[in-house]
Amino acid sequence: MIEGIEIQHIILVSSLMFFIGVYGFMTRKNLITMLMAIELMLNAVNINFVAFNKYLHPENMQGHFYSLFIIAIAAAEAAVAIAIIINLYRNLHSIDVEDVNNMKH
Amino acid sequence: METTIFYIISAIILVFSVLTVTTTKILRAAVYLLFTLVATAAFYFMMEYNFLAAVQLTVYAGGIVVLIIFSILLTHQINLDLKKINSIKKITSGLVSLFGFILIGNIIYTHTFKATSSVIADTSVNEIGRTLLNYGDGGYILPFEVISVLLLAAMIGAIIIAKKK
Amino acid sequence: MDITNFLIMKQELLLTLITLFILVSEIFVSDKRRIIPIAIVLFGIHTLFGFLYNSYGSIFGGMYQNSELVNLMKNILNLGVFIVLLQSSTWLLKEENENKISEFFILTFSTLIGMNFMISSGDFLMFYLGLELATIPMAALVAYNTYDKKSSESGLKLIMSAAFSSAVMLFGISLIYGQFGTLYFSELLSADMTSPLLILAFLMFISGLSFKISLVPFHFWTADVYEGAPTNVTSYLSVISKGAAVFIFNILLFTVFRNIVDVWSDVLYVLAILTMTIGNLFAIRQTNIKRFLAFSSVAQAGFILLGLLGTNELGMATVIYFILIYIFSNLAAFGVVSSIENNSGKLNIEDYNGLYHTNPNMSLLMMLSLFSLAGIPPLAGFFGKFFLFTAAAQNGYYWLIFIAVINATISLYYYLIVVKAMFINKNDSPIEKISNNWYMKTSYIICLIGLIVIGFYSDIFEYINQISIGI
Repeated sequence: MIEGIEIQHIILVSSLMFFIGVYGFMTRKNLITMLMAIELMLNAVNINFVAFNKYLHPENMQGHFYSLFIIAIAAAEAAVAIAIIINLYRNLHSIDVEDVNNMKH
Repeated sequence: METTIFYIISAIILVFSVLTVTTTKILRAAVYLLFTLVATAAFYFMMEYNFLAAVQLTVYAGGIVVLIIFSILLTHQINLDLKKINSIKKITSGLVSLFGFILIGNIIYTHTFKATSSVIADTSVNEIGRTLLNYGDGGYILPFEVISVLLLAAMIGAIIIAKKK
Repeated sequence: MDITNFLIMKQELLLTLITLFILVSEIFVSDKRRIIPIAIVLFGIHTLFGFLYNSYGSIFGGMYQNSELVNLMKNILNLGVFIVLLQSSTWLLKEENENKISEFFILTFSTLIGMNFMISSGDFLMFYLGLELATIPMAALVAYNTYDKKSSESGLKLIMSAAFSSAVMLFGISLIYGQFGTLYFSELLSADMTSPLLILAFLMFISGLSFKISLVPFHFWTADVYEGAPTNVTSYLSVISKGAAVFIFNILLFTVFRNIVDVWSDVLYVLAILTMTIGNLFAIRQTNIKRFLAFSSVAQAGFILLGLLGTNELGMATVIYFILIYIFSNLAAFGVVSSIENNSGKLNIEDYNGLYHTNPNMSLLMMLSLFSLAGIPPLAGFFGKFFLFTAAAQNGYYWLIFIAVINATISLYYYLIVVKAMFINKNDSPIEKISNNWYMKTSYIICLIGLIVIGFYSDIFEYINQISIGI
């Protein structure tokens, strides 16, 4: 526990970080920066789990382990996404969503 | 003292998060993301989850950010400026995010969280290792094995997509 | 814990073994095409084993649980995957895929392992891992045609929207954890979820899962991904992936979230109307057959919600029964589409004009499957929809059923457009006669039997209904 800090403050920081990520996901057009926005969101979720674990439920480490697994999955996700981005760049020579989006609705 | 440090770290996280999603230089965005992730690791250190903080530094800050920077180098000129986003989209997205934050922030701020226990579990690396490989109650061997399948599949998937023909 | 406990998770273990076997066998097999029959036969054996030597229970401290119902769900998925594998042979035998044959099976089986773990999960961690294991290799499968930029785009769209939705879902899960301090379903059964924070958490959770089932307004990725992905992967995505997500949705609503049934039935009510209506309206104006089937599958997901609104065991049984029928109907349609695409490269509905004169058997199968999707008696689809309506009627949702019936009528209209194109419209240069290999023929025969028999053989529904009591 961090002395003098209540759980609400930490969760507010992480929520704000989460919504900054949402904002980034909605406004960014470059695929790699969209990926960064998603990493921000996942990171905010991790802070949530860890803070809840430490402040409220320290008797076991469920939140701690959950964040550990989220980190590992985020890495796998980023790897596959970047592989596809590189392949797309090879075919298209651009990774902007606007250039990518040539499917009709 | 700890309070001050907490606020400084929070400020770092929030400022660099905003910069990550707004800067027009792509490589800078990656570096700002790195700062955010390192600051998050500082949070974990403050809460005495040292192992998690180390994983955060090695996998997130060390692995994912490097992966992202590599992909930038492979697909862009480094000093490329990102395209400007039209301001209507900026404002609507900003309002949606702000509304979401106010909604959630309000609920969280007025909610009283109650602790289930004051017993503190052992957070040493020894104990984490034992829990991770324990198959009884509260053990994590099954997720540990499943994620190995996931990493294998992700690796095969990434290779098959990115390899040259 | 002793060794017999592993029999409880035999489906996942066997599948993992098969996956590793294919991974290793690639080194020793010189002609990569020989892997196709090996993989299909191994998976066929796995499918049969699903029905034998079953034991149920909960292991790993409650993280993994298996029951008769869960096992049935896995068997249904296995059956669907078996058909998908048979149908993908033509595509895999193409020249551009000759170096990627075994990887297709490895990735497909990995996603199936993920779905099995997701359905069997006993806590939110295993649920999340299963979900991601079902999603990340799936994105690689969608982007499998690396020379085709549409395919890569679809893969990106899938993985980006899936990552976004799982982040939203995780935020919801973290709030649930913050309140109760546990992630195990069994400990959450009696949890009081009525505070605003938990309603919010539930809404975030449900919107994450709605992405997977592609309910409106979370469906925006569906049509693009379905269009760009290789057709066999599209059929996998639209049937198996969606089916698994519906199954776990079903289980979670009736276990962890059963205390807030008032909240979720209101949410599902709105989602059902939106999904059915918007899916149908968009389906009418499509000219590409894959986009058409994508929106039709969005609309079908809306009908599935009707069964969930039954809010009891009968509702649950009708949903599982509907998925079983949906697998056969949709896979028959996608099988015909993929066969035509792989042989002629044609994908527009106009190209299907006059198909009956050149390929009568495939046209008839396509007609039956579309009629089954529309719910015309005496095909299986009719019984599936009828039971869903019955489940919703129990709770007095008559307005909803009225809207659903109107939507079913609209759907009949657009399914008939395709049937008319195949049987009535004239075409100067129709698609040439296609000779299918025996893999494809077998899959058609299985689908045909499923379409006709399941509706009449009422023991199946009785059995599902009987084992869904006491979940």
